[in-house]
Amino acid sequence: MISRPLFKQGFLSNGKILLIFAAVLTLYFSLIVSMFDPKIGGTLQSFSDAMPEVMAMFGMNAATATLTGFLANYLYGFLMLIFPLIFTIMASTRLIARHVDRGSMACLLAAPRCRRAVALTQALVLIVSQTALILYCTLLGIGCSASMFPGELDVGAFLSLNAGVWALHMAIAGFCFFASCISDDTRRSFALGAGVPIAFYLIQMLANMGGKLENLQYFTLFTLFDTAGLMDGTAAAWWKAAFLLGIGVLFFIAGIRLFERRDLPL
Amino acid sequence: MSMIEISRLTKDYGGGRGVFDLSFTVEKGEVFGFLGPNGAGKTTTIRHLMGFLTPQSGCCRIDGLDCAGHASEIQRNLGYIPGEIAFFDEMTGDGFIRFLADYRGLQDLSRAQALKERFELDAHGRLKKMSKGMKQKIGIVCAFMHDPAVLILDEPTSGLDPLMQNRFVELIQEEKARGKTILMSSHMFEEVERTCDRVAILKEGRLAAVDSVAALKKTRRRSYTVVFPTTEQAAAFAAEWDGVLTVGGRRVTAAVQDGLLPFLQALERYGAEDLDADRQSLEDVFMQYYGGGRP
Repeated sequence: MISRPLFKQGFLSNGKILLIFAAVLTLYFSLIVSMFDPKIGGTLQSFSDAMPEVMAMFGMNAATATLTGFLANYLYGFLMLIFPLIFTIMASTRLIARHVDRGSMACLLAAPRCRRAVALTQALVLIVSQTALILYCTLLGIGCSASMFPGELDVGAFLSLNAGVWALHMAIAGFCFFASCISDDTRRSFALGAGVPIAFYLIQMLANMGGKLENLQYFTLFTLFDTAGLMDGTAAAWWKAAFLLGIGVLFFIAGIRLFERRDLPL
Repeated sequence: MSMIEISRLTKDYGGGRGVFDLSFTVEKGEVFGFLGPNGAGKTTTIRHLMGFLTPQSGCCRIDGLDCAGHASEIQRNLGYIPGEIAFFDEMTGDGFIRFLADYRGLQDLSRAQALKERFELDAHGRLKKMSKGMKQKIGIVCAFMHDPAVLILDEPTSGLDPLMQNRFVELIQEEKARGKTILMSSHMFEEVERTCDRVAILKEGRLAAVDSVAALKKTRRRSYTVVFPTTEQAAAFAAEWDGVLTVGGRRVTAAVQDGLLPFLQALERYGAEDLDADRQSLEDVFMQYYGGGRP
C-alpha cells in the first residue's frame, strides 16, 4: 500500500526544511537550557516580573524552580508549539495540494498506484518527519541538560512532556493534511491549514492571560496539551493527549478518504 | 473489440462548460484523433479516462474496466501525456525519469534510453530550468517507457520543433504497427493526417462528428490568396474565376476545386504578383463540413 520510491522522494524533498527547523531548534534549546539558573530563576524570571501579562501570553508563567519546569515553560509554551506547527503547515501543503495545484499529481496517478496509496504514503512522510523532529528535540533537551546541568532534569517527566507535544502535533498534522487533501490549490490549503491552527494558538495566548479570557481555553485544541499534568503524570493529562492523537488519526483518515473520491483538476 | 469506450458521458460544470452525452469508441489497434477548439471538452474527457474525474452520468471504460473505479489497474498498461506537463521541479530530468520508473515498478530502462536518444534529449539538468520543449520530450519518454498497450496523449507535440514533431509522428506510426491503441488530441493537420485512422471533433462539449481521416482529406478545400498589380485586374480576375471567396482591393482569396493548372493559368493572364496558400486548421476543415459552416 505504501510506495517506497514516493516515500523516499517526499522525505528527501522535505528533508531540507526539516534540517533547517532542527538547526533553529538546536540553537534555542542550547540557549534556553543555558539560561537556567537553579538559584534565582535567571533572566527570564526578571522578564516575568517586569511584564507578567506578556510572558503569560506565551505560556511562560508557572513556577520555574526545577529545570524540567523551566523547559516546559520556556520551550514547550511557545517554541515547541510554533516551530513544528510551521513545519507541518509547509510540509502538508507540499505533499498533496502543491502536486494537485501544479499538475504533478497527474504523474503520480498515471501509474499503477491508487490514490489511497499515494495519500497514505504522503501522510506517512508527514508523520515520520514530524515525529523525527520531536524525537530529535527530546534527545536534544536531555543532552543539553545533561551537559550543562547534570542530574537536574527529571527525564521521566520530560519524556511525558514530549509525548504530549507529539500528540498535539499529530492532531495538527492530521488537520493540515486534511486541508491539503481537500484543496485544489496551495493557497486554499495554506489558508485552511495555517489559519485554523494559528487561530487556535492565538486563542490559547489570550486564554493564558487569565481573568475572563480564561474561558477561551475551551475553544482551542492547545488546551488539551496539559504541560503541568503531563509532568505530574496525571491520568487526565494522558487522556487529553490520547484525545489529541485520536483527532489526528481521524483527520488523516478523513483526508485520505476524501482525496480518494474527489474530482481532481489535473 | 473496443479498447476505449465512452458511453453517454456527462459532466456539467455550468455555463455550458463540460461534456454532454458524449459517446464514442476506439478500437484496439486504432489511432484516434481527438479534435476541437479550446474549451470544447477534450481535456475533460481525457481526465475522465484517466480516472481523475468521476462522471456525473454515463461511464467510460478502457479494456473493459471502468475508468472511475479501476484507475490503478488500467494505469498498469497505459501511457499518458498531460496537456499541461508538470513534474517535480526540484529533480533533474534523468532523476525524475528514474523516479517514475521506480514508482511504476519498472526495472528495465532500455526503452527510456532509446526514447531519449530518439528525441535527442539531454535530461541531466534541473526540471525547473527546462524549456517547454524539453519537458514535453520528458513527458513523451515517461508515457512510452513502460511500453503500454493504450496511450492517451493530450496535445503531445506542443512545444516541439518541426523536426521533433516529425520524429513523434514516426514513433506513433511504429506503435500503431505494433498494435497499440492510441487516443490523441491535436491541432496539427499533418500530424493527424499521417497518424490517425479516425477523428472525432468536439464542439461545446458535444460530439460534432466522427469520421475517417480519408474522408476528411477528400473534403479539404484548398484556397489561395492572390495579390494583383491593380484593383481593376483583381476585379477582372474575380469576375472570371469560379470560386472567389473574398475580394479586398488588390487582394483576392479564391478556392480551387480540382487541378491547379487552370488556376495558375488564370493568374498568369491577370499578372498576379504574389500567391499565398491559406493554412486551414483541422478545426476549420471539420467545422466547415460538419459544424454548419463558417461565414
